[in-house]
Amino acid sequence: MSEGSNSVLIPGRTGRADGRAGLLVRECQGLALASLVARRGRVREAAEAARAAFGVALPLVARAAGNERVTFVWAGPGQWLVETSDARGDIEAFLAPALGSLAAICDQSDSRVVIELAGTAVRDVLAKGVPIDLHPRAFGVGDVALTAAHHVGLHLRQVSEEPRYRISVVRSYFGSFRHWLESSAAEFGCEVLAPLGAG
Amino acid sequence: MSGGASTQPRRLASGGAIDRSQPLEFRFDGRTYTGYAGDTLASALVANGVRLLGRSFKYHRPRGLLCAGPEEPNALVELRDGARREPNTRATVVELFGGLEAASQNRWPSLAFDVLAVNRWLGPVFAAGFYYKTFMWPAAFWERLYEPLIRRAAGLGRIATGPDPDGYEKSYAFCDLLVIGAGPAGLAAALTAGRAGLRVLLIDEDFLPGGRLNAERQLLDGRPAREWAAAAVAELGSLPSVRLMRRTTVVGCYDHGVYGALERVHDHRPAPPPFEPRQRLWRIACRHCVLASGAYERPLLFGDNDLPGVMLAGAVRTYANRFAALAGRRAVVFADNDEGAVTAADLVAAGADVVALVDPRTAPGATGVERIAGVVRRAIGGQGLRGVEILAADGSVRRIACDLLAMSGGWSPALQLTAHHGGRPRWDDRLGTFLPGTLPAGMMVAGAANGDFTTEAALAAGVRAALAAAAALGHAAAPVALPSVSPESVGHRPLWEVAGTRGKCFVDFQHDVAVTDIELAEREGYRAAEHMKRYTTLGMATDQGKTASLNGLAVLAARTGRSIAATGTTTFRPPVVPVAIGALAGTHRGRDFRPLRLTAAHAWAVEQGAIFMETGPWLRAQYFPRPGEPTWLESVTREVNATRQAVGVCDVSTLGKIDLQGPDACEFLERLYVNGWRTLAVGRARYGLMLREDGMVMDDGTVSRLGEHRYLITTTTANAVAVFQHMQWCHQVLWPGLDVQFVSVSDQWAQYSVAGPRARELLRAVVAAEHDLSNEAFPYMAAGTLRLRDDTVARLFRISFSGEHAYEIAVPARAGERVVRMLMAAGAPLGVTPYGLEALGAMRIEKGHVAGNELSGQTTAHDLGFGKMLSTKKDYIGAVLARRAALTDPDRPRLVGLAPVGRGDRFGAGAHLVRRGVEPVAAADEGYVTSAAFSPTLGHWIGLGLLRRGPERHGERVVAFDPLRGRRTELEVRDPVFVDPAGERLRV
Amino acid sequence: MRIPCPHCGLRGHEEFAYLGDATLRRPDPAAPDAERAFAEYAYRRDNPAGRHRELWYHAQGCGTWLVVERDTLTHEIGRVTEAREQGGS
Ligand SMILES: [Zn+2]
Repeated sequence: MSEGSNSVLIPGRTGRADGRAGLLVRECQGLALASLVARRGRVREAAEAARAAFGVALPLVARAAGNERVTFVWAGPGQWLVETSDARGDIEAFLAPALGSLAAICDQSDSRVVIELAGTAVRDVLAKGVPIDLHPRAFGVGDVALTAAHHVGLHLRQVSEEPRYRISVVRSYFGSFRHWLESSAAEFGCEVLAPLGAG
Repeated sequence: MSGGASTQPRRLASGGAIDRSQPLEFRFDGRTYTGYAGDTLASALVANGVRLLGRSFKYHRPRGLLCAGPEEPNALVELRDGARREPNTRATVVELFGGLEAASQNRWPSLAFDVLAVNRWLGPVFAAGFYYKTFMWPAAFWERLYEPLIRRAAGLGRIATGPDPDGYEKSYAFCDLLVIGAGPAGLAAALTAGRAGLRVLLIDEDFLPGGRLNAERQLLDGRPAREWAAAAVAELGSLPSVRLMRRTTVVGCYDHGVYGALERVHDHRPAPPPFEPRQRLWRIACRHCVLASGAYERPLLFGDNDLPGVMLAGAVRTYANRFAALAGRRAVVFADNDEGAVTAADLVAAGADVVALVDPRTAPGATGVERIAGVVRRAIGGQGLRGVEILAADGSVRRIACDLLAMSGGWSPALQLTAHHGGRPRWDDRLGTFLPGTLPAGMMVAGAANGDFTTEAALAAGVRAALAAAAALGHAAAPVALPSVSPESVGHRPLWEVAGTRGKCFVDFQHDVAVTDIELAEREGYRAAEHMKRYTTLGMATDQGKTASLNGLAVLAARTGRSIAATGTTTFRPPVVPVAIGALAGTHRGRDFRPLRLTAAHAWAVEQGAIFMETGPWLRAQYFPRPGEPTWLESVTREVNATRQAVGVCDVSTLGKIDLQGPDACEFLERLYVNGWRTLAVGRARYGLMLREDGMVMDDGTVSRLGEHRYLITTTTANAVAVFQHMQWCHQVLWPGLDVQFVSVSDQWAQYSVAGPRARELLRAVVAAEHDLSNEAFPYMAAGTLRLRDDTVARLFRISFSGEHAYEIAVPARAGERVVRMLMAAGAPLGVTPYGLEALGAMRIEKGHVAGNELSGQTTAHDLGFGKMLSTKKDYIGAVLARRAALTDPDRPRLVGLAPVGRGDRFGAGAHLVRRGVEPVAAADEGYVTSAAFSPTLGHWIGLGLLRRGPERHGERVVAFDPLRGRRTELEVRDPVFVDPAGERLRV
Repeated sequence: MRIPCPHCGLRGHEEFAYLGDATLRRPDPAAPDAERAFAEYAYRRDNPAGRHRELWYHAQGCGTWLVVERDTLTHEIGRVTEAREQGGS
């Protein structure tokens, strides 16, 4: 972690050095995050309000739904993690007009590190700690899981078919998580790419 | 003998599933030998004519191979050397590799000449129950005499002493159908399910899938069985939903379709390649399971049946057919079943001289082999078999010279995994063995594991099981066309024991348990199967009695006059085969034992030279040594003094932080905390105390009101997770009607305490100019949101743990490191000092604040001086039980301050408090020191403690008795607030 | 054990925290025998052999307190519901 930059991953290769790296990792920077918790009995209204304001309804099951402006990631019953790069520095203010009366909104932009994982070995790497069946028959694009790997809590979702996964990890645990990830990927080679959405 | 590798005298000229183009050199007990790729260490030793492989556990009897598979009790060897040395490895499952170093174990000084073989003549000492009888008394002898003696005399291999240089890891797997065992039943099941598109995981212990198809001379569709197996494996490899794992043993069956498996990823290499683990422990979750684990052949019980050269018939066939290695040149076959004839025929085909087929039944023999109706009464030999003594059915006794006795007492299904949930195997009288009983949900058993002892029946059973699994999962599946199998004959009449034997007749080879031991156990009253097992230790060695259990039960049944069915089995528990601790630990070792949490400014603290300590999962700065400070005491003293005289900065980011919102947020707080919240204004903070429902203190912290319906709760670092879970419980289980929402923001905010008389000056320098920090605008217990000069959004709380004029400033975590540097830079002219946990602790003790040591889960609000906080106007968690007489009893140990009468004396937390002049015994105990620290402000040690009727005893002297540290210190009892009791500093 | 969380699906028991008897109800603190009732509530537990209704918290998952019907002899799991659905007190 270098001064002046908030990057938590330094681009470069670790583990097996020959051939194409089996795991590709990149940090997603520039995202604003917020937790959204529906007020008592207002889940469906909140879902509709989100659709009206952002064009995306809040998913009511363990799924993510989004467009180019905002993504709502299910985070438990009546709860979501909102991801956006459109919040102009105040995600609570961004969400409040549409959802403030229907849900509690709380800025979490700094609480998690968000990374994306891809590569030919990504499922094998994740299988070393993530106790979730990620086989395409069991977990597909848009699916979301809250779980833990190596005792570190994870919020995981699949973002594309190749497959690519996006994972958010509580910031204070990220160093330990990164170490686990790099060790688990070492036999396949692990390549950290330049961050996504930097600057 | 380097370079002079022997010539594999017992290797057959052709045949076998070995690669003769790949010779491999290896060493056993310092001698160099050659084997081939495809060999096990055991088969290579057979090919080289090595018969003596080890000494037995108790009696140091010479032992050779009994089996060819994982059930081997005798041939335990040490593999590799140095830190990689691994004892108690079964030579029968060690895949040969070039450069393999193996050594026999449990012999001294050499295998052939073993001094401790004298134990053989001390047999009576080591009989059943010898541990219990011999080494009972005196107790003190255990550690010094008995244990080392036993370990030397009756031990297994030597463990490596250095840290294991190899890596181990764990992995999860999921499938529709788990097939355990890739013999005929498993292959047929996997093919059927795989072709139907099920996600199949086929697991096999061997490096060559096929099971007994690789070991028999059977023909499938007119081709060698091994070729059919190879074709099946090739097809499975082409099916996208099928995964075949070789070198993997399923070691346990757990609830709800979860299985544990150990993959020996690189045990077949001298060392794992870089970045790869040596072994991997799998947790497999499946919807259905077909157990096709096969069966173990049983030895026959006759005199000296443990001599090297006495082997199981199936193993003899495996060595001959799969490995092209002949276990003996002149063989006698002794069997109570039709496989005796198969064995004799295979040996003849392999070129051995089969001098007799001994069978107690009247059954067909093999061509060209003399058939004797009768039994082998005794094996004859010293270091190895030289002949057998045969008692024929007509009463005649014959001695026949031979170097190999192939024996078979029939087969016992490998049903351990069916019984891990407590399912009891059921006795089958027709087959003369136990079969799987009640199965774990989702499990089916097929093949020999279920008593289908012919290949034809095993193949058909595998198909049936897979079809049933597919149907249950809603997949259409078609039975695979099965091959025609050459004629098989599995007639069997169990003999169990040879009557009138001479010599020691072993049941459990690995633990040296003989028939006489079971008889002794029975005579001494250990008639239940479980009692006999424990008294004799039968089945308790690393092989868990795979070849011994049923024979032992049969002997016990005969001696007690019960049937074997009524005798029952002992309990089967995981793991099925030994699993190294390293594999169970996986990557959780060393610094990866558990994850660490780091605060946002961790790198800054490292730069400052902080000494860190683990507090729960967190790594926190304990103190910041400066040059010239020889011990922590000087550093902490400087940090406290600088804070009390100027200003200090401490990272308190680890506090639990919970954002609470909703129309009922205030009501929720009312019910969570002992004190009231209705009067807390927006922009103010208040101390709060939480109880458990039993009335004991759970946690404390502050609650700040950020808005009309928004609060920020802080918890102690230690209880952050527990308090959040407690709140979830209160909300979801007790009061789902309350409209509140809360989330953890512990990681969102980095938080720093800025404490000391110059704290305001420091904040003034970093907070944007428009904010008024005067005492009037931002008084003690104020809370608000503001901006820093660099526009960072911050929350400021005027709260104090140190007793100084103090603030806690919270900023978004990514700004944490920048802001702490800003504080240090702006504070430099003011003499700012970073302080760590030790200084924080010293100052809170000076101020009489309770913390983790006092919030021990055994203290009440009254104990800690918070009695007046308990609201009588409302209900809250713990309200009713906190009012119990016993919890408010003034006689309870209650919080006091403690100072040494001799001001130079030191005392520590954990010391017990007793009256002066009283013998410090448990009955005189009046409480204990909960926290102690050197107070830089007072210049001597101080402490907090819980003392019976403490608040009434200020001024009294007591003794702190600390036998652990060897201290006895006279203390003065006093008010717990040592510094600024009026709280004036807080409010300036 | 694997517990079917109604929100997250089948998950290993390591993801859950166990609390125990789900049939207990927090007594009325204003009742004349409140102290006795609370003492029962806080300390007394049956230890049934067989079917049991238990509270499990999906700590490493969705954060839901669940009522899990479990057979303590066989670990067979029946209905799993959200604790908040049983109404509280
Ligand atoms: Zn869940």
